[in-house]
Amino acid sequence: MALKRNVGLLEGLKYRGGGPMLAWLLHRISGLGILVFVGLHILAAFLTQQFGSDAGIFINIIYESWAFQIFIFFCVLFHAINGLRIIILDLWPALLEYQREAIWLEWFVFIPIFGLAVFVIFSGSLGG
Amino acid sequence: MQVTLKIFRYDPEKDKKPHYDAFKMEAEPTDRVLDLLEKAKGYQDGTISFRRSCAHGVCGSDAMRINGMNRLACKTLVQDLGVNKITVEPILGLPILKDLIVDMEPFFDNYRAVTPYFINDEPAPAKERLQSPEDRERFDDTTKCILCGACTTSCPSFWANDQYLGPSAIVNAHRFIFDSRDKGAAERLAVLNDLFGVYRCHTIFNCTLACPREIQITQAIGEVKKAIATGKLD
Ligand code: FES
Repeated sequence: MALKRNVGLLEGLKYRGGGPMLAWLLHRISGLGILVFVGLHILAAFLTQQFGSDAGIFINIIYESWAFQIFIFFCVLFHAINGLRIIILDLWPALLEYQREAIWLEWFVFIPIFGLAVFVIFSGSLGG
Repeated sequence: MQVTLKIFRYDPEKDKKPHYDAFKMEAEPTDRVLDLLEKAKGYQDGTISFRRSCAHGVCGSDAMRINGMNRLACKTLVQDLGVNKITVEPILGLPILKDLIVDMEPFFDNYRAVTPYFINDEPAPAKERLQSPEDRERFDDTTKCILCGACTTSCPSFWANDQYLGPSAIVNAHRFIFDSRDKGAAERLAVLNDLFGVYRCHTIFNCTLACPREIQITQAIGEVKKAIATGKLD
């Protein structure tokens, strides 16, 4: 009997698609990250306001921690810039010829902004 | 140089699960991966199964995953891989019949779904249907497809669901949609506007990188998406 066609997550991740595939994966992960952040935010506000419970404050402490802040900033910034790349390429398919350059440009914009934000978050958490 | 060729093995009559066999051999840097497979099959284990026909990148029968990426074994030189451990595995997302041989039928079902042939019911002129060089140029890139399946089986959307027509079928639809002599564009665009049509493409570009004919596949898909959205062929 033939082996089924199913492609496992690990097997798929092992495929060597390179930069564009990584960007797509990060887009998915950052999308989920944003969802978790917004979900926690709503949950925390709901718990504090409706029940005045300490659980809300506890969740607040989690997502106000510097590590979570850096993670969420990564998600939002990456999702935004990558989304912009996809929108531009969708609207002008002729530009798809330069998809490699588009990805380089994306990292070129992303890295300094993200670096700066990490620096600000860090110095804020250490100094203040 | 000495190379180790690791081959994905699965015999439906004996094996419950697939495994890998390693074959050590002497190879020239200019040998193709297909040559290594032939050597392993010819001298070490005659039961190794794989497809090949032309051995010159024309028939499209030997697409496989070579060191983790879809390529044609007959167009991949050992020196291009830059390592002396070479792993060959079947392409992903299609049922595996034996070793490197997959069942291409779902792939060809998707191909047939886009009516990949010339459609024009108007009576043909006495000599031929003329076309300007510019009009011919419009779809030149997508005429190069050899239906090897390297693109479709590199696409995570196709891995997730083989009802997605896949890059190859869209490329072959593009070849006729943008042909000024063809009149079947509307019906093909309708097929591609379906739930499992072009919008399953998330511009991951694996297809473009995998294509052994260097077709700008994602661009072709982008052009079809735009034609559907705007209703214009330009
Ligand atoms: S054997 Fe024909 S394309 Fe490789």
